[in-house]
Amino acid sequence: MTEPPDSHSEPRSDSAELAELHEALGSLRREILERFPAREPAPSLLADVDWEALFDDLRRRISSIGMSERSGEVDEFGMDEIVVRRARRVLDLLYDRYWRVDLDGADQLPDAGPCLLVANRSGMVPWDGLVLAHGLHREHPLHPQARFLVADWLITLPFVQPYLARLGGVRACRENAERLLGSGHFVIAFPEGAKGATKVMRERYQLQRFGRGGVVRLALESGVPLVPVGIVGAEESNPILFKWQLPARRLGLPFLPVTPTFPLLGPLGALPLPSKWVIRMGEPLSFEHLGSEAASDELLISRLTEELRARIQGLVEIGLGERESVWG
Amino acid sequence: MIRRLLERAPGLRIVGLDHRRPYRLDPRVHFHRVDLTEPTADGRIAEILSKERADALVHTAFRTEPTPDLEMDHELETIGSRHVMNACAAAKVRRLVVASSTMVYGARPDNPNFLTESHPLRGHRGAHQVQDRAEMESLVAEWRVRHTDTEVTVLRPCWIMGPTYWDHVTRYFSLPLVPTPMGFDPLLQFVHEDDCLHAFEQATLKPHPGVFNITARGVIPLSTILSLAGKRRLSLPGALLSRISEVPSQAQSGNPPEGFFDYLRYLWVADGARGWEAFGEPVYTTKEAWMSFVSARRMRRYR
Repeated sequence: MTEPPDSHSEPRSDSAELAELHEALGSLRREILERFPAREPAPSLLADVDWEALFDDLRRRISSIGMSERSGEVDEFGMDEIVVRRARRVLDLLYDRYWRVDLDGADQLPDAGPCLLVANRSGMVPWDGLVLAHGLHREHPLHPQARFLVADWLITLPFVQPYLARLGGVRACRENAERLLGSGHFVIAFPEGAKGATKVMRERYQLQRFGRGGVVRLALESGVPLVPVGIVGAEESNPILFKWQLPARRLGLPFLPVTPTFPLLGPLGALPLPSKWVIRMGEPLSFEHLGSEAASDELLISRLTEELRARIQGLVEIGLGERESVWG
Repeated sequence: MIRRLLERAPGLRIVGLDHRRPYRLDPRVHFHRVDLTEPTADGRIAEILSKERADALVHTAFRTEPTPDLEMDHELETIGSRHVMNACAAAKVRRLVVASSTMVYGARPDNPNFLTESHPLRGHRGAHQVQDRAEMESLVAEWRVRHTDTEVTVLRPCWIMGPTYWDHVTRYFSLPLVPTPMGFDPLLQFVHEDDCLHAFEQATLKPHPGVFNITARGVIPLSTILSLAGKRRLSLPGALLSRISEVPSQAQSGNPPEGFFDYLRYLWVADGARGWEAFGEPVYTTKEAWMSFVSARRMRRYR
């Protein structure tokens, strides 16, 4: 054993003192060795694994796959704050790097809710709703999380339902929208509904009929401003080449979308392609001057709905013009 | 309920009607034996009501558990309610309180997230008990239009949880391994038994005509409910689940009926705002109601 040089005892080079110190250090060493005996050779890896605990842990992990970080506390529409926060990390990546979303016009939004955003819908997976809600959160982080409305068949689809609800999706119906707007939320509606989601590639960026004017009627009745939004890029991230009817009947779906990667690559094919996204928001439309009795004027509603559709179509055209290419 | 009423209003005269004398009946209750499934039940109830000069009648003669005897259930729930209503009309009872359930709205994929009292009662195809209850409600609604001098209160509680309440729902949730439909995790709501009794008490003592959902505040997903109770969940695909649930219900053991699992698949959460306004804020939230049930049954185990 080598004696460490003692800086304090060096100036007084007294041999007796040095010997005393040596003694003390020796006893300390013995004591340490006594208290902490050297480790025995490591046992073989599998010798005493607690198999029962391991299996228990494994079982618990399997049974909670995908749900491991849920908080259990959900709001009244089933959104889980922790799941949303976790999804934001993934969405940030998709937003900045994958789709390079170019969002413009968010400064025109009213400072506080309620507000109804109306956008064009595309693709089977509601990426457009998720991305738009995420974009709003980035632009206005202090607002309550914007909620997007999802068509019935998707929000009640097995295995999809738990996730969509936790991420902030709400079944598209009048009562839900009214309730959300009543509590001051930003609500994202896709009035094209299933027709928009199931457009095939050659119909892309041609807006379909807007349901039965429910969006406009809602805005007239509740007096909330409508914000038209044009989303470009979502069509190409999940392009539907054609609709395959036969196997879909078996699965209870309206049809099976055939994309360049799905069902060729299996579940991997459901992943979106890295197209360039451009989101343009128009000026908010306020119908307050028309009064709430206008909500019973069907002709007015259909005229306003058509106007809204033309506006969104215009925003989509602007977005298409600003984009250099599908991938660029 | 009776004990609470006696505590709240000591001078009240309480008359109990049932098809058999309850075990441990409070001696202050004047009991009469009535079988609602008898064809002459209406006359008999009317006779009792006018003899006792009853002011209010609380009608809760419904099954807490669906039985395999469909005919009998129908006789009791629908026809029995008709008897009760006819008797009320004959005896000129001022107030009628009817117990229903939010299950009568039906669990459907196209339900809004919050069902208000004005939502149509669509019942449920697979659950005859719910169908009977919905039919009973339509009878009550009809009767109400014809007898405007009687205040009719219909209370629709959601699933009741609490230390002492026991029905097919609590029985299902007490299973050691809870079978659930695969791929679904709906929002559920409960109401604590005390809050539910409070609503009934208020409706009996004070005029609250109309229909009210009786719910607690807050909703929780099914998976959270089970993990709060430390339960194991057995997710099964729909077809297999209904096949499995058929076996015990065929064996007449009063297990969850067919159609029950749709209530664990789709949304049927009711909006209780009207009830809260009329009967006061519920003491327990959904989570607290569930935890009181869990702790009373000592479900949580140490791991």
